[in-house]
Amino acid sequence: MSGVIEISDVVVELNGEGFTAHLVLTVNPGEFVILLGPTRSGKSLILELCAGLVQPQRGKVRVLGEEWADLPDEARMKLRMRVGTVLQLPGLLSNMTLFNNVALPLRYHRSTLSDRDVDRVVMGHLEALGLAQLRDRFPAQLNPGEIRCAAIARAMVLDQELLLLDDPLGGLDAGMVQRLGEHIANRRQRGPVTVLATMRSYSAFLELADRVAVVRGGQIEAIGPRSVIAQHGGAEMSAYFG
Amino acid sequence: MIGWVGQKVLDAFYYVWALWGLVSQALLDLIRPGERGRREAFRVITRQILFTGLDALPVTSVIALMLGIIIITQAGTQLPQLGAGGLVGSIIVIAVIRELGPLVTAIIVVGRSGTAIATELGNMSVGREVVALQLMGIPAGRFIVMPRMVGMIVAMICLTLYFDVVAVLGGFLVAKATLTIPFDAFLEGVTRALSLSDITLTAVKPIFFGIAVAAVCCHHGLSVSSSYTEVPQQTTKAMINSLTLCLVLDLLITVPTYL
Repeated sequence: MSGVIEISDVVVELNGEGFTAHLVLTVNPGEFVILLGPTRSGKSLILELCAGLVQPQRGKVRVLGEEWADLPDEARMKLRMRVGTVLQLPGLLSNMTLFNNVALPLRYHRSTLSDRDVDRVVMGHLEALGLAQLRDRFPAQLNPGEIRCAAIARAMVLDQELLLLDDPLGGLDAGMVQRLGEHIANRRQRGPVTVLATMRSYSAFLELADRVAVVRGGQIEAIGPRSVIAQHGGAEMSAYFG
Repeated sequence: MIGWVGQKVLDAFYYVWALWGLVSQALLDLIRPGERGRREAFRVITRQILFTGLDALPVTSVIALMLGIIIITQAGTQLPQLGAGGLVGSIIVIAVIRELGPLVTAIIVVGRSGTAIATELGNMSVGREVVALQLMGIPAGRFIVMPRMVGMIVAMICLTLYFDVVAVLGGFLVAKATLTIPFDAFLEGVTRALSLSDITLTAVKPIFFGIAVAAVCCHHGLSVSSSYTEVPQQTTKAMINSLTLCLVLDLLITVPTYL
């Protein structure tokens, strides 16, 4: 079976930053993979490659069986509807309330849905993430954790097949982390969804992952189940596994 | 020196090419079939019309009234002294309806809405909101540029017509105290001087001005890349370039009508 994400012999050089990444990674359907590593190791770059925001100088990146570079605009838009992405800066639209932000993909791509259906779907996500009472607030009135959770809700609202979450725990308190973990677990139970997330420090969230990949210096040094990788990471990586 | 001039000409060419890219894409987005995003785009259009048109009514009223008073008072008092009292209507049609109406309305719109668009889009770019839209499969052209352009054109046409009416009628009513011309004669003079080409020009100019202002301001707003300090810089450029482009377009539209 082919992977949902296939990164084969990819080389990316970030001009001006003196950073070169050499990457090989396959994420299987329904898998939850966490990219773990220090800041500026290349984790976000892998996510941006998968989201089609960065094109590799060499190698191929296939996402859900498609290569971003080959796709015409319409096909690219359709693929984006199947991939939910949250970057480090989540980019909630500042002139919309939290509810309208989360509802935007539904209203744009599923315009036949009634307002009642949109309300039901969006409130389902907001309640699960503990944001229901904040629905009428604007992003400037939210804290970073609430903004990130709202962006994750927005990335899941179309029941996307692939979730790319860059630092999903940034700014979240313990309760939020727990609710987010449960929400993703529930989504995985409801139907097949593949998750690729990045983390830069230890969290109980790691327990949710099927595999953990250690990323350092633009390379994936090791990948496997958390318990196995924790023993192979060396002293420097031990802090990342608690 | 020649190299410098050549570079400037090339820069200007690329700039106009980029603007044309935005305009043509907006046109395609407007006529492209399919239901996707239409309702959301319509909401943005409505908001833009309300902000650019309705919210600008007070300031437009004041400026139109003051300008109307000045021009009508000047024309109504000076021309009769020269024995050209019959030309008051023509002067008002040429000065207010043909030229100042569309142009001053464009200046008001650039100052209010153009700068607001450039600032809003600049902040959206830095906050990665534009990238977030792209990642949701929502093209910036269809969701950001096209609705603002359509909204601005509609608002600009309505605002220009409103400006003309307030400037001519309101200006006359207020200036009546200093004029010897009766209202009926004034109105007859204006309607006699008003031709189809005047009405066409006053309706066509705002369309071009609306397109120009929206394209320039969206271009500069979306050009902001990495820092909030770029936002005011791009907003200033957007304002200056919008005004310049409106004047160039005014020249290109007006001069041929006299040839």
